[in-house]
Amino acid sequence: MFRFAPYVLKSLWRHGTRTALTATGAAIALFLFSFVGAIQDGLADLGRHSERQLIVFQANRYCPFTSQVPEHYTATIAKTPGVKDVVPIKVYTNNCRASLDVVVFNGMPPDKVRSARDLNLVAGDWSEFEKHRDAAVVGQVLARRRNLSVGQRFSIGQVTVTLAGIFTSRNAAEENFIYTHLDFLQYTRGLNSVGTVTEFEVRLADGADADAVAHAIDEQYRGGPIQTDTRTKGVFLTKAVGDLVELIHFTNYLGYACVALVFCLVATTTVMAVQDRVREHALLQTLGFSGRRIFALVMSESLLVSLVGGAIGIAAALAVLAWSHMAIGTEGVTIAFAPSISLALTGLGVTVAIGVLGGCVPAWQAARAEIVSSLRYT
Amino acid sequence: MSLIEMHQVTKEYLKGNQKIAPLQDATLSVERGEFVSFMGASGSGKTTMLNLIAGIDRPTSGRIIIDGTDITQLSRSKLAYWRAEHVGYVFQLYNLVPVLSAYENVELPLLLLPMSRAERQKRVGIALECVGLTDRADHYPRQLSGGQEQRVGIARALVAHPAIIVADEPTGDLDAETSEQVLHLLQRLNKELGITFLMVTHDPRAAAIAGRQLRLDKGRLVDPARSAEAPVAMPA
Repeated sequence: MFRFAPYVLKSLWRHGTRTALTATGAAIALFLFSFVGAIQDGLADLGRHSERQLIVFQANRYCPFTSQVPEHYTATIAKTPGVKDVVPIKVYTNNCRASLDVVVFNGMPPDKVRSARDLNLVAGDWSEFEKHRDAAVVGQVLARRRNLSVGQRFSIGQVTVTLAGIFTSRNAAEENFIYTHLDFLQYTRGLNSVGTVTEFEVRLADGADADAVAHAIDEQYRGGPIQTDTRTKGVFLTKAVGDLVELIHFTNYLGYACVALVFCLVATTTVMAVQDRVREHALLQTLGFSGRRIFALVMSESLLVSLVGGAIGIAAALAVLAWSHMAIGTEGVTIAFAPSISLALTGLGVTVAIGVLGGCVPAWQAARAEIVSSLRYT
Repeated sequence: MSLIEMHQVTKEYLKGNQKIAPLQDATLSVERGEFVSFMGASGSGKTTMLNLIAGIDRPTSGRIIIDGTDITQLSRSKLAYWRAEHVGYVFQLYNLVPVLSAYENVELPLLLLPMSRAERQKRVGIALECVGLTDRADHYPRQLSGGQEQRVGIARALVAHPAIIVADEPTGDLDAETSEQVLHLLQRLNKELGITFLMVTHDPRAAAIAGRQLRLDKGRLVDPARSAEAPVAMPA
């Protein structure tokens, strides 16, 4: 089939404007589709790295500002059967509502930052972080977005820290966080958090039943002054971004609409190409091109236009996602829109499918055309 | 055994409620290397006969045996491959692919055959040389005159060394001088390469260059016997 490549390419070039417009339309649609896919992936990623963890939050509280669980609960939670480790966390965010520029501070015991999180320091020093109470380590995405560098002192809201390190993480959402000392956040003026934390992160022992352990933890504080609401981390995160989830699921329809649009574009272009070349295809059949080969030639054109446009759109989307480090956050939870190989492959798969589906009917018609009547076509 | 044998071939089709029979009970044999012309009024069945022999149309009844193969029994895809190997077609309106150069147009039939690029290059070069257009190989149809386009069409028809070349009014769209040149070329190719030519024409002068001149009238062959007249040699 490659020996026919010059014919296919030149046929597309013959109507260069039409081909370019179709490819551009495909590029724009696949750009949007990839963005929607990245948002969906970001949402799905919330629950992916938290299979064996529980979050203990104050009951009937939703925003991190309002959850104030006594820090001394750490000891009793640690003694609950099925609990392997307890990490007290103070969460401070610059914006509890949905925003594209949410900054979330997680105050944790410094030794727990390294043991409870899978962070890879790409700049700075862990020892500097551990030595200084007002030190912080920042995710690379956030550092780039806010133009932060190691050694820099910066303030966000009421919190002022010194940057001791920049980290990357397998969990893209983590790179939008700042980790600092728990007691530093607790004692920060204006936060009124001495002796309290926002939540506990509980790691389960092997074989422990998450629901049973969650129930046991809440039972200990039922009826007391500060009751708890314990859920698996995935459920907790999804609930926290509940309003956003509805919106994000709605964007699925935008993605489907993009796919339908590209299909219509590619199909229209291929139909027009076949209608323009009825005699030419009849000529090819006269020369000995079989119906199957004519089908393949038309299909190649359809596939090529779809693939070129789609690939450009996908590449542009991945580049924008990689460069912009976009994330949306609400109530201290962040959803990162990150580029990925699977996103690219999904986009390419959709592009190929559209090229094939958009071209198959006109290709079939071209292949089955009667030679004699087609040679007379004007 | 003759190269081409037609046995009581009929072609019919329906136009609305009316049955049209452009060719009826045609029986014909053509020897290898012959140059046969078909003349007749419009609608007499000349092009239909040509199209049936070339394998781009199917008869309603009868058999067509070419070089031992009954082409009426071939499937659509096998017939396509058969055409690639055995038939060259010269059109009245040239029918060159506008986006391909002269070289690429002539090369088209060879892309269907198992052949290396070097072999294709060699054959295309020879074909263009035969028609005197080696220096126009990289020109596109829009850059060629009518006569040059037709010569490219002829080169395309003979590049695969077919047993038969069918030409449907090859000079129908050309002026007198260019027509003479093209006819001379066809006659020369027939003599030098031994390819069997079947040509449909309205022009008695064109028909006269053939070794055998046949007439069709209302879908029937008249005078199928060999012509007693010698073919007219076209001036060089």
